[in-house]
Amino acid sequence: MADSGAQSSRYGPVQVHFITNSPDIELPEGKRQLLVPTNVRRYGLSQILNSESMLDTPAPIPFDFLINGTFLRTTLEEYLTTNGLSSETTLNLQYVRSLIPPLFEASFEHDDWVSCVDILSGSSRAGTWDGNEVAAGQERILSGSYDGLLRVWNKSGQTIATSTASSAGGHTVSIKSAKFISPTQIASSSLDRTIRVWKYNEAEDHFSGDLKPVLELYGHKGGIESIDVHGPSNRILSASTDGSIGLWTTLKNSAPAADSTFLTSGPTAKRRKLTTSTSTPQRGPLSMLSSHTAPVTAAIFNPLDSTVAYSASQDHTIRTFDLTTSTLVDTRTTSHPLLSLTALPGISTQLLAAGTSARHITLLDSRISAQSTQVMTLRGHTNKIVSICHDPKSNYGLVSGSHDGTCRVWDLRSSRTGTKDEGNGLVGEAVYVVERDSQKGGKRPVGGEGIKVFGVAWDKDVGIVSGGEDKMVQVNRGRGVTRPDNP
Amino acid sequence: NIDPASLLPKLPKPEELKPFPTVCSTLFRGHEGRVRSLAIDPLGVWLASGGDDGTVRVWELLTGRQLWSANIGDEEAVNVVRWRPGRDAVILSAAAGEDIYLLVPPVVDPETETASRDLLDAGFGYATNATQALTANGQKKEPVAKWTRPGFRLEDEGVLIKITVRTTVKVISWHRRGDFFSTVSPTAQKSAVAIHTLSKHLTQIPFRRLPGIPQTVQFHPSRPLFFVATQRTIRSYDLQKQELVKIIQPGARWISSFDIHPGGDNLIVGSYDRRLLWHDLDLSTRPYKTMRFHSKAIRAVKYHKGGFPLFADASDDGSLQIFHGKVVSDMMENATIVPVKVLKGHKVKSALGVMDIDWHPREPWCVSAGADGTCRLWM
Ligand SMILES: [Mg+2]
Repeated sequence: MADSGAQSSRYGPVQVHFITNSPDIELPEGKRQLLVPTNVRRYGLSQILNSESMLDTPAPIPFDFLINGTFLRTTLEEYLTTNGLSSETTLNLQYVRSLIPPLFEASFEHDDWVSCVDILSGSSRAGTWDGNEVAAGQERILSGSYDGLLRVWNKSGQTIATSTASSAGGHTVSIKSAKFISPTQIASSSLDRTIRVWKYNEAEDHFSGDLKPVLELYGHKGGIESIDVHGPSNRILSASTDGSIGLWTTLKNSAPAADSTFLTSGPTAKRRKLTTSTSTPQRGPLSMLSSHTAPVTAAIFNPLDSTVAYSASQDHTIRTFDLTTSTLVDTRTTSHPLLSLTALPGISTQLLAAGTSARHITLLDSRISAQSTQVMTLRGHTNKIVSICHDPKSNYGLVSGSHDGTCRVWDLRSSRTGTKDEGNGLVGEAVYVVERDSQKGGKRPVGGEGIKVFGVAWDKDVGIVSGGEDKMVQVNRGRGVTRPDNP
Repeated sequence: NIDPASLLPKLPKPEELKPFPTVCSTLFRGHEGRVRSLAIDPLGVWLASGGDDGTVRVWELLTGRQLWSANIGDEEAVNVVRWRPGRDAVILSAAAGEDIYLLVPPVVDPETETASRDLLDAGFGYATNATQALTANGQKKEPVAKWTRPGFRLEDEGVLIKITVRTTVKVISWHRRGDFFSTVSPTAQKSAVAIHTLSKHLTQIPFRRLPGIPQTVQFHPSRPLFFVATQRTIRSYDLQKQELVKIIQPGARWISSFDIHPGGDNLIVGSYDRRLLWHDLDLSTRPYKTMRFHSKAIRAVKYHKGGFPLFADASDDGSLQIFHGKVVSDMMENATIVPVKVLKGHKVKSALGVMDIDWHPREPWCVSAGADGTCRLWM
């Protein structure tokens, strides 16, 4: 029956019902049902929605369409046939603003592995905190490297500033994490167990500048894998392999003194001159939270309430802390070591995405009231997921960076029911896979050798920026939004 | 008619026995020539390796980034690297030729570095090297080992103590408390097995006579027992009573390696004649199970020590095999052993494949050292 139905419906019309979760692009009640030809694809449907008789958009908005949680990537005809549906069916088409394929734009070369990246723009966090302003065209990319140096780049790939060497107050070994606190202030953390706060100045012509250390923070006994910053409260959070989370202030005068046991450099470091001998002020933490039982890989501020912190650890848990009282509020245990963490502020105040060593991303509702903890699993990476960042334009998007040498873009609206082997539950698959340009289409090497991604950031103005073992900072960006794309 | 297969005990399928390592997750490249030995530190953060190029290296375990390296071998290969157990200090031991080195890699915080150096230096006060025994004819007897400073070049790198014995050291095995470690120099005859006391800088030879050429040794994980493998047998000794307790006969022609289950009552043995054997020490001196899966010699066997019922072997055929091996508490019931995965990737070089293996202290991850010059982390 389905067969003959499909035959007779070839290129005939099918009834569709347009639905959306975004009120600003909702169709009037009477226009939501429509007969459309079955040979249309995403692009055709997007044109129909944008037309005068429908949304009548001043500038066309590229749309994507979800049917039963899956993005339409074929014609409606093929969809009906594949799913054994007759053309009598009314298809519920959920339309969403299109995720643009993040095309390669540029690569900036380093001398050594790039461990982390951050972006400063008019729409970035550090660009929008009180009093901060970034002019269009003055966006900046920050990268930290295993050579122990920070670099600030413009979008054309010119280095505007490089941090000072260890002999002049810089990190003594590899940098692991770095963030803009404001357009003129940066924080970085290192395997040297310190956090350093930097004053960043640009020359009038914006083509040169300098990064000067203004504060050294001591208190961790292990390398500091990751930091987060909150500009308005001058706070820094740190996650260390020593199993603890540090809370710090960037204000020299309100920071506690540093404990001398951390300042004394060991005999080996002294002999190998791995110490800094500058007059940079040295301070200790506001508090140290030591409840994890294995290395902590990420600590972040709740984007909606900076008195709350979330942390992810190799001990398999995500923990919630009240920073005002320095107390552990909640512990969520997952099945695998966690290597990266981000919060998705738009969906729920406490929906967290954590990258695992087991090659998937776990989405958790960390609200204590939440009935089920695990919301969804994102699958497709073939190695550890060590960096993760939410989509600045969509509440449902995120990008992840993995030791498999790719960044993957995910849309939480696209999902299916997992197989038994996947532990059932909701499973999402990547919408786009961003390869390393340095790889030039070659085969993926074993263990991601040479192309591991260590850090990724996503900005509305700049795009997706990633850094890795190929010693490159790579910029990808959606372009050509109104061009019809391939299925 | 009864189908004979129906009488065999039903073994669980590998996919029901997850988690176990399945893919190569990180490569560690840098050694020139074979990597002979490797070990993950007790915290699970660093990988140490040693090889034919005479270097000891410490790597960031998850990324494969080399953090530190020292050339201790000069012209000699580094045959073995082992971390001292415990979290109070970070001390790595390594052997090249007849020298055993104790070192504190400069990757630790100042407080831990100081604590580690203090542990290494405390024994200098005992000056055991000064009290040398005299032989019958009044000549100074050559001490079995000399504890010295290795010289400024190495001390600058964090290599702090050198213990020189008489012939090439192939094995280092630590007691769980971190004050004793044993070494094996197979060609040293009477002094082939030595026990070193870190806190006293003291080296002792526990056996006057050995029933064969010692291959490897291990302290029991909880009782004061010491196991010595010669080519064909493994003997366990009571260290306090100084007596032989048991002779284990795996039936292999040449034992390369063995490991004791953390529970203390089971043992796995690997041999150059390609056998892998499981012994239940309560049951018999003969193996409970003999397996021959590899086409070439087995060089290393190791149990997971962090709570997973896993063990692995490494072979010159270039592969590692991962087994589920669950020890049941019931004395009458035998362990369930299921091969779950063969891990391939190391290239065979000059008929040598995988030289050493270790497990992560907490996770079901293992690492392997290859004759192809790489180490690999499997997840
Ligand atoms: Mg038994």
